Amino acid sequence: MKRFLTLLKNEGKLSIRDMNMVIFALIMPLAVLVVLGILYGRRPAFEGAPYSFMAQSFGALCAISICAGGLMGLPLVVADYRERRILKRFRVTPASPALLLGVELTVYMLYCAASMLLLAAVAVPVWGVRPGGPLPAFLGAWALTMLSTLSIGLMVGALAKNSRQAGVIASVLYFPMLIFSGTTLPVEVMPAAMQRIVALFPLTQGITLMKQTFLGLETQGALTPVAVMVLVTAVCTGLAVRFFRWE
Amino acid sequence: MENAIEVRGMTKRYDGQAVVNGLHLTVRRGTVFGLLGANSAGKSTSIEFMLGTRKAESGTVRLLGQDPGRNRRALMERIGVQFQEGDYQQEIRVEELCEETACLYRNHADWRALLRRFGLGEKERSAVRSLSGGQRQRLFIVLALIPQPELVFLDELTTGLDARARREIWQLLASLRDQGLTILLTSHFMDEVEALCDEICILRRGNAVFTGTVEEAKAHCGCTDFEDAYLMLSEDEKGENA
Repeated sequence: MKRFLTLLKNEGKLSIRDMNMVIFALIMPLAVLVVLGILYGRRPAFEGAPYSFMAQSFGALCAISICAGGLMGLPLVVADYRERRILKRFRVTPASPALLLGVELTVYMLYCAASMLLLAAVAVPVWGVRPGGPLPAFLGAWALTMLSTLSIGLMVGALAKNSRQAGVIASVLYFPMLIFSGTTLPVEVMPAAMQRIVALFPLTQGITLMKQTFLGLETQGALTPVAVMVLVTAVCTGLAVRFFRWE
Repeated sequence: MENAIEVRGMTKRYDGQAVVNGLHLTVRRGTVFGLLGANSAGKSTSIEFMLGTRKAESGTVRLLGQDPGRNRRALMERIGVQFQEGDYQQEIRVEELCEETACLYRNHADWRALLRRFGLGEKERSAVRSLSGGQRQRLFIVLALIPQPELVFLDELTTGLDARARREIWQLLASLRDQGLTILLTSHFMDEVEALCDEICILRRGNAVFTGTVEEAKAHCGCTDFEDAYLMLSEDEKGENA
């Protein structure tokens, strides 16, 4: 446990010093929140809606850091450590791949949690955003979305040949999901045809579920997104640990 | 007492070309062993086979009496390694790199004391990338010693160090050897090999062409200067330094 905490402390410090995640996982979601807040204030999501536009957006805003960590930060840091032969150095120590992957995974989970708390700290007092449903349901949906997205990143990082390849894969996953799965642009404002296409992104499923649980809406058919996300998490994590490359 | 390293018949080919060909090595405990040869003679590759980070086609390796392919984690508690091109996280500081390394071992050394012994006491809070080449080299030797190893691998020991720093490192390593540490090193400096190594093995294109002491190498070649003997042994028939 001491190993894990020492590595976590150091890797966390290094990540903050690097600033990328601070910008993309902490500042960017906050900036989007503030812009939406200025535009929509406390207005309802639509005429006669029992919840505000801001409350409707809260789940999606929480997904920005998940997206940044899972599809950019995590795969890139693991691939970079491989390319710089840092993993090779770890390989001739008593460290295991699970320890290293676990530490990096935790760093990005902490970013996601910090981002959510930061968003809540602003959205709740300033725009009166309140969860309309039970909080544990929302937190469950959030955790599942986070774990499934981070596990994709873990797999890309563990299997990519080098950081350039990891970068390309990360960009291909990150930008479409960030723009089209409802993180920044609400799914509701997209044309119907487009909504059908973006429903295929796994992250869209997670965001929809987070939104429904946060607003306390009927979570009809919640079983499908939950099943998809659990499956993705299991498969990607399994592949990452099984086929982890040190070099 | 068992030997620190035993390599028997280690062979690996790439595209039909032998990188290491039937290598036999025995390194006694508490000695310094020099693995020598020109660039690409197979030194680093041999070390990787010994550590089990690469798989040989055939042959067996015993480190401290154990198979490095099994029980890797238990065995690595007792072994320190400095790779030729050690790398580190972009923004990491000296103290963080030492702490991160130390936490992996159950029984690690006081790394602050080690840094001081290697003349890096003032550099604890510096970024590793801001160190000079020689300081970084010394830092990587410190990292290899943090596990309080019984056996240490030092690939290209003093590359990048100035004359005085090299002498200091030799003295430190000799005193560690006298306390029972076994050292396997590679080096391109024959004065260093002569000063430190109890035994050497010279590789040429993956073949061990000489194993014995420095004095035996000189006698074998009829040279008074060890570097002459080394060049004679490590060069190809054509006279190219392979």
